[in-house]
Amino acid sequence: MGCFSADGIAAPVNPFVFPKWSNLAVKAAPPLLGAAATYAVAVFALAASPQTTDVGYQPDQPVPYSHRLHAGELGIDCRYCHNTVEIATHAALPPTQTCMNCHKHIRASSEKLLVVRESYGTGMPIEWVRIHDLPGYAYFNHSAHVRRGVGCVSCHGRIDKMDVVYQAEKLSMGWCLDCHRNPDPRLRPLEYVTKLAWIPEEDQLVLGKRLREEWRINPSEDCSTCHR
Amino acid sequence: MPPMSGDNPNKTYWRSLDDLAETPEARALIEQEFPGGAWDRLDRASRRQFLKVMGASLALAGMAGCRWPKEQIVPYAYRPEGRTPGQPQRYATAMDLDGVATGLLVTSYDGRPIKIEGNPNHPFSLGAAGPIHQASILDLYDPDRSRTVVRREAGQEIKQGWDPFDAFANELFSELRKQNGKGLAVLSEAISSPSLVEMRQRLAKTMPEAKWYEYEPVSWDNEREGTKLAFGAAYRPHYRFDKAEIILCLDADPFMTHPAALRYARDFANGRRAHSGKMNRLYAVESVFSVTGAMADHRLRLRSDHVQALAIDLEIDLTRRGAMGLRSVQNARKEAAPNDARKPVSNFVNALAEDLVRTNGKSLVLAGQRQPASVHERVHQINAALKNIGRTVTYSTDGQADRPSHMSMITALAEDIRRGAITTLVILGGNPVFDAPADVGLADALKQVKTSIHLSLYDDETSVACSWHVPRAHYLESWSDARAYDGTLTIVQPLIQPLYGGRTPVEMLSTVLDARREKAYDVVRRTLARIKPSKDPERAWRQTLHEGLVEGTRWPTQNPRVHPPKQKTLVPSTQPGESARHNSPEEIVFTQDHSVYDGRFANNGWLQEWPDPMTKLTWDNTATLSPATAQALGVATGDKINLTLSGRSLAMPVYVMPGLADGSVAVALGYGRTRCGRVGDGVGFDAYQLRTTKTPGFAIGAKIERLAQPGKYPLASTQDQHPITPVGQESKRRRLGKLILEADLSEYKANPDLFQHAAHHPPLESLWTEHKYGPHRWAMAIDLSACIGCGACALACQAENNVPVVGKQQVANGRVMHWIRVDRYFAGDTDSPRVVHQPVTCMHCENAPCEQVCPVAATVHDHEGLNVMVYNRCVGTRYCSNNCPFKVRRFNFFNYRTGMTDTQKMLMNPEVTVRSRGVMEKCSFCVQRILAVKVQARNDRRPIRDGEIVPACAQTCPTQAIVFGDLADEKSQVAKLQKDKRAYRMLAELNIKPRTAYLARLRNPNPELPGRDAEKNHGHS
Repeated sequence: MGCFSADGIAAPVNPFVFPKWSNLAVKAAPPLLGAAATYAVAVFALAASPQTTDVGYQPDQPVPYSHRLHAGELGIDCRYCHNTVEIATHAALPPTQTCMNCHKHIRASSEKLLVVRESYGTGMPIEWVRIHDLPGYAYFNHSAHVRRGVGCVSCHGRIDKMDVVYQAEKLSMGWCLDCHRNPDPRLRPLEYVTKLAWIPEEDQLVLGKRLREEWRINPSEDCSTCHR
Repeated sequence: MPPMSGDNPNKTYWRSLDDLAETPEARALIEQEFPGGAWDRLDRASRRQFLKVMGASLALAGMAGCRWPKEQIVPYAYRPEGRTPGQPQRYATAMDLDGVATGLLVTSYDGRPIKIEGNPNHPFSLGAAGPIHQASILDLYDPDRSRTVVRREAGQEIKQGWDPFDAFANELFSELRKQNGKGLAVLSEAISSPSLVEMRQRLAKTMPEAKWYEYEPVSWDNEREGTKLAFGAAYRPHYRFDKAEIILCLDADPFMTHPAALRYARDFANGRRAHSGKMNRLYAVESVFSVTGAMADHRLRLRSDHVQALAIDLEIDLTRRGAMGLRSVQNARKEAAPNDARKPVSNFVNALAEDLVRTNGKSLVLAGQRQPASVHERVHQINAALKNIGRTVTYSTDGQADRPSHMSMITALAEDIRRGAITTLVILGGNPVFDAPADVGLADALKQVKTSIHLSLYDDETSVACSWHVPRAHYLESWSDARAYDGTLTIVQPLIQPLYGGRTPVEMLSTVLDARREKAYDVVRRTLARIKPSKDPERAWRQTLHEGLVEGTRWPTQNPRVHPPKQKTLVPSTQPGESARHNSPEEIVFTQDHSVYDGRFANNGWLQEWPDPMTKLTWDNTATLSPATAQALGVATGDKINLTLSGRSLAMPVYVMPGLADGSVAVALGYGRTRCGRVGDGVGFDAYQLRTTKTPGFAIGAKIERLAQPGKYPLASTQDQHPITPVGQESKRRRLGKLILEADLSEYKANPDLFQHAAHHPPLESLWTEHKYGPHRWAMAIDLSACIGCGACALACQAENNVPVVGKQQVANGRVMHWIRVDRYFAGDTDSPRVVHQPVTCMHCENAPCEQVCPVAATVHDHEGLNVMVYNRCVGTRYCSNNCPFKVRRFNFFNYRTGMTDTQKMLMNPEVTVRSRGVMEKCSFCVQRILAVKVQARNDRRPIRDGEIVPACAQTCPTQAIVFGDLADEKSQVAKLQKDKRAYRMLAELNIKPRTAYLARLRNPNPELPGRDAEKNHGHS
């Protein structure tokens, strides 16, 4: 010991007395803490806001294709075009050929189909703008969901009512986990997976529970399920 | 300086001489897991070098901002039938190396080939692929590959398009055709392609005066020449390791460097698992420490130039036993006074001969690629005398029975040029200016050739010496065909259009033959139709492409009769026993490199950074010496020496390697390239400068001087890194649980439970609540008896999991990123140690120490027992790695992906996240493969079949030493293996419950020979 004396002169730093600058720190602390709290709230609010999660994102597409017309009014099944959805990770966009299967005969000279015909003629692809875009480190598999009774509508919304497709759901990790923790509200018989307007005749929760038990659906919440 | 002899009594197993001697360097590596800070001291020049190796073109990333970039989806206009976008597809193709094809399956994502695996249907792959096969995909995307035709004239270098070249070539070759090919010569690599062979024959017909040469710097040509001596004609020998009980390898490495190595290793390992209480027995006599030597039950280190003498000794012994009745022993050997120094050798030969005679017809003797034809001749005669021919050795026709040896052809070419007989030289692949023997003087001779055209992947050493360089298409961009080792016709089909233009040898030769320039595709189809005519050619073609090979096209088996041996003197020129003690370093052994092969893969970062299976060196070749030789010379690892051989000299760093023959200096070929690209230029030392046509395998009479130089040459070896130490150096001595368990077959049979009591520990109580598991419990079993330590697993993992290359400096800093490493342990004395290889990767411990210390839960357990890394959570504290007892975690000290070119990005596996700076990573048990199968199985509403999920390491393992599966399925192979009597878990006493079990290594020594003596107490101390 003996590093300090009563008059405080001998020791350059007294460990039992706050240094002078701490007065300033005490004064500055409340506004700083306040600012930090505001910042934290702002960050979390922003992170969860629809703007960040891109809900409602509706970019212009090269072709004025209307899902409302094709999937809604004409009632074409989702899988006619997105035919890999049950077997693959991706619900692939259809090749131009698929469009032309019909449009060789229907509205074959429509101006709206110029880009499609051009692609068909040249073999160059149509460059669609991606709407539902998960981060690169999240691995989603369409087939795993569609073949277990999760309907298209659960993630994509009422596509059959959209002229131009937009992102209907948050597609955030918390949103994914909501369903993985409790899939019952979203399970449906396989034949209704692509029926966007379908409403169960019985209570959805009763149906969901039954299907979950019948198909032994046990969605994983492990990190490794989606991230690798 | 480590002690040169004598065991450290505290150490049964040691990783290196430094480790054995417990030098401060080795201790520092244990105390500080992340050594160095050397990066921070890097000067600007080294930093530049580092970035270059990273493939940096320093392209600035776009200012993406905080919003996600707008992404496009570009579907096909016309989707090919059967193609599912985003789903991997696999195509059968083949890689032709040294004129032998290995069948491969290549995984392609949306048209980008990303991973090479073996083709299970192919007789010389059996699903496995060696390190070189797998890494060759990196060459495909190499930004240093040449992209344009280059014309060199009067010191000028003109980059040209294809049209001027075609115009020039058409004129040149049509003129030559008129003159019957006078003055035209073609120099090719070893070819097995029936299409090329047919074109060569057509060339001989249409241009009878044209000449054809073939040259491979590294090959098993001596084996072939040996058959000419023994049988009077060239045959191809096939060894049946699956049928052999006693195997003798004379300076041979059939499991690593032989063209049929994958098959041989599989057959051999199947005889090592001791399921039925039987094992084969391997004797190895060799100068360098080879992968095969490391598997041997008895290994005799002997200079390469004394192997012939040993073979003669063996012949004499066999003759005495009446097994070789063709000659009479009438020489001085009988009278040779028993000599103490000779005793180990004569005992060895004696016991060996007895074993060979005992297993008449079930033994196998083979000699290596370095040994001269005369040794191979003797080997064929010995096999004939032991009645092995037709049983463990069979012979088939050789594809090109009339071909002279490579060495004679390259010599003839240089002579013909000097005579002025050659005015136009077409070089189809290869790099002869770099790799031709020094006495040929090819570089000088080439100057005399008026027009020389070099077809090559790179604008390399040979290209600059030629008047034209023509870019070659990578084999994954080419249509071709080739023959497997047994002659099976194998199709090489392209996975992608040539990225940088580029032509194949078939197309190039077609230019020579006629102006039409036939498409390689048409040529290959025609060849198939010729060899295997079919009523439905389209169907046959599709079937062949699917299979990758044509069944029933093997070369016929032959029964050649051994020429009666001439009455040669049976007195060995040198007495092998004495030479074993002989310390004067006078023999240089030229070895085929496991990474760069003959030098052609020098610009391949994966291979450069892949540790040599035996020395564990990366990014270099060295003059490798035995401890005694090094001591006699007064040099240690890192000192530079000057090797002089008939007037040619080369300065190289020394690497001291236990187990080498005294007096041998092993030097790997293929390093010291000057024009291969940014990765390989200036890496290592060019041993071709010392190699001559007379002594391509080994050369005696070398002079060796120590070079005075300040400091040491830095070598980046991974052998001391990531040491596993349970409880620090002090208590290690008291409590070391054995990491490696091994025993002799006889001990194991007498006491099958001996491995179950290896580790002594109090009852294990867990501090933690045990995890609960779902329906699957993934686990692994690694059989140390089968693992030959080839390291193919490390490369498979690198390709599958987007593991980065970090460069020599970073490897030296202990920052190598491989997720699976093969630990090499020595045991016994430093002169002639045994070796045990142990692949180590994340064990996915049930009580994982890493998980317990992560402050941000970035490494967590999942319900199937995987210890998963969540990169986005990781903040880079590295606590996990500190706490990992197996040292299998790897930290991204830098963003090793800086400045990757767009072509290089095509190689990335889209199923695995590419990690950035500051995060920890490690083996995931190939979680992406587990999930792919799991999703598929559940989609089909069926259980996962055992063996359906195969991680990359297990998939490629040539010996199937790694088995993966579900412990919850009691019938699974892995569950059975984990219950095997040989199974043990590393560091079981820590109660971490690793999911990986090792199966103890068994050896099958001859009881007549001294084997392991010091450490027979397997933990029962």
